[in-house]
Amino acid sequence: MSPRSPFTDRNRPGPTNAKHRGRLAAAALGTAVVLAGLTGCAPGSGPDADGVTTLDFFQFKPEAVQDFADIITDFEAENPDIRVVQNAVPDPDTAIRTLLVKNKVPDVLTLNVSGNFAELARACVFADLADEPSADTVNPAVQEIVQDLGSCDQSSADGGSGSPEVNALPFANNASGIIYNPDIFAAQGVEVPTTWTELVAAADTFEQAGIAPFYCTMKDAWTAGPAFVNLGGALMPDGFFDDLRAEGSDVQDGAVSFNKDFGPAMEKEVQLFSYCQDDFASRDYNAGNLAFANGESAMYLQGSYAIPAIRANAPDASIGTFPYPVTENADDRIAVSGVDVGLSIGRDSPHKEEAQRFVDYLMSPEVVQAYSESQSTFSPLVDAEPNTDPALAGLEPYFTSGRIIGFIDHQVPASIPLVNMLQTLVITGDVDEFLTDLDDEWSKVAARTTTQREGK
Amino acid sequence: MTATAPRPTTDAGPEGPTRASSTKRAPTRRAGQGRTPRAFYWMVVPAVVIFFGLHTIPVVTGMFFSLTNYAGYGTWSFVGLSNYLNLFRDDRVIASYLFTFGFAVVSTIAVNVISLAIALGLNSRIKFRTAFRGIFFIPYVLAILIIGYVFNYLFANSFPTILQSMGLPGANILADPQWAWVGIVITTVWQACAFNVILYLAGLQTIPAELYEAAGIDGASSWRQFRSITFPLIGAYFTINMVLSFKSFLQVFDQIVALTNGGPGTSTESIALVIFRGGFQGGEYGYQMANAVLYLFVIILVSFIQLRFLQRREASF
Repeated sequence: MSPRSPFTDRNRPGPTNAKHRGRLAAAALGTAVVLAGLTGCAPGSGPDADGVTTLDFFQFKPEAVQDFADIITDFEAENPDIRVVQNAVPDPDTAIRTLLVKNKVPDVLTLNVSGNFAELARACVFADLADEPSADTVNPAVQEIVQDLGSCDQSSADGGSGSPEVNALPFANNASGIIYNPDIFAAQGVEVPTTWTELVAAADTFEQAGIAPFYCTMKDAWTAGPAFVNLGGALMPDGFFDDLRAEGSDVQDGAVSFNKDFGPAMEKEVQLFSYCQDDFASRDYNAGNLAFANGESAMYLQGSYAIPAIRANAPDASIGTFPYPVTENADDRIAVSGVDVGLSIGRDSPHKEEAQRFVDYLMSPEVVQAYSESQSTFSPLVDAEPNTDPALAGLEPYFTSGRIIGFIDHQVPASIPLVNMLQTLVITGDVDEFLTDLDDEWSKVAARTTTQREGK
Repeated sequence: MTATAPRPTTDAGPEGPTRASSTKRAPTRRAGQGRTPRAFYWMVVPAVVIFFGLHTIPVVTGMFFSLTNYAGYGTWSFVGLSNYLNLFRDDRVIASYLFTFGFAVVSTIAVNVISLAIALGLNSRIKFRTAFRGIFFIPYVLAILIIGYVFNYLFANSFPTILQSMGLPGANILADPQWAWVGIVITTVWQACAFNVILYLAGLQTIPAELYEAAGIDGASSWRQFRSITFPLIGAYFTINMVLSFKSFLQVFDQIVALTNGGPGTSTESIALVIFRGGFQGGEYGYQMANAVLYLFVIILVSFIQLRFLQRREASF
């Protein structure tokens, strides 16, 4: 490149065409160098100068950032050759997908093991963890929940193992039921309801006493989901989603459909939400946790994962849980459980060996135990102590005896705006429209996608 | 939007140094005359390369993926034009187009009427004119996302309380599927007016005062002066304001994310929001790329029609 300023040499004889082209090329080259600088350079795969390997740790759970920071501090003290950088983002589902679009899979990830996770796992972006030492310590029933959602199933020719892989190890389990305030129940003389009629009677009692039966938070559409998975999951016929997937793109006229099988469950959901406080449509999840912590409602339709958030507002909040009484038969009650936190390793991570050491450390019994106590979760390890948190006492027996079902919303493709439709349902109360729309969306997505989900 | 930037010619300037033409000219040319200074290449070429690398290539890549069933990760295969056909069968997409156009029409009219009124006021001889101009420009400096969150809080908490204290029914309109769009329009108009006021003010400064003096001597009322002098003479500014604001309202995204996130239900989903949600959250990258390509052509077509229609109405002196 010419060291002389182009502005000062106007009086020189003009360059020939060839020279001109050379300058153009130089300009273009200079720009290319600038562009390359813009895109940044990929991190090297080896350890850096002082022999420390940095692991990129994608951590989806905002409530648990401090827990993981403490775990990482302990881990780094034991393993001075590894540095772990925790990345927590506000919208992890979107963030992980945008990372994947750019082909940047983090080294180690915590992810909510949901339908979203399953889609990513089936696309083979995570490593196979079947041979991890810690994989043998997991409760098989819990690992089954993970495997049922779907995993990478590649022939060995394509770099897969030829059998379904283990793409995530369960680190913590949640359970979804009704959270209630034992003090308010005692003050009003209400027993924990065991049938649907008792639940409605309890709600009426609180309403007459001027207490909000439920605190609802419909500004965040997803908070209509917990009631949906409990009511829908308990009342739907066995194998509903398998049959629905088998019908392909015309479910309206099929043997099973939301219209045919979800009517009673959704009527019940609308009935529950009719007991919400007045401004329920403009309050969000955080406001709900605060309100319940302050005793503003008798019950709260959320999962066990809300308990730490409630305690963050009031450490000594009075909290209990019970499973949804969906029918008139008390023995029908079940809890909905899912893997709240799963651990995965990026398939092409350049730091496989270090990532495995970190995952094995995370899966060690004392770390899992400490986390489950801190975050009010259930330990997925095979010989785990039952969680002694009194807030979970109402759901613990269902979890340990295996009277649990998975989250049915994990069976619904992510491209269906399910939570938004539920939000409309509980605000307008129009069950027929909701069911027709849901069948409609299901058919459209089935017609568009060539790969059908293979979950359970 | 793939503007094919003209490739800088490497010949010696505007006269075209072909042998045929150079024989007609006097052979003694002053050095440097008729030649483009190299400095201009240093200005243009990097811009073209950066534009091409950061804009054109991604657009073409997106168009390519609109013909596949790519989820945004993993493997993909060609599906031809079926994504485009499915768009027209997808009532969620159709509803988002209807919502976005309705929103854009209402917002464009509101913004331009209000901005023009404010600009006329700020252009007249009032006290504290400069201070007022500064105040009216503030919303433009703030990020629309931040404004959205502030208004979100106001709609949820402050406005209902104020209305209830006045004895009126107060509810959060953002939580009502019927009326949530009004909240988005109010927020958008509040923010967008500032920029349009600036443009209209610039236009009003170009009108010579003599015209008003003459009209005043002839006894024209101020309404008549506005109708026959002011409005025709800022026609060009009116056109560009209409086109630019309509285009940017068709692309509405940030304030919806901050205010309703497309809710309640899917009642306030704009096209951009559907593309973002389906493409990055719903694992339908290829399908939503098709939607984005369609959206691009719709915006180009609408802007073009607007320009043709409005430019014929402009006056000049």
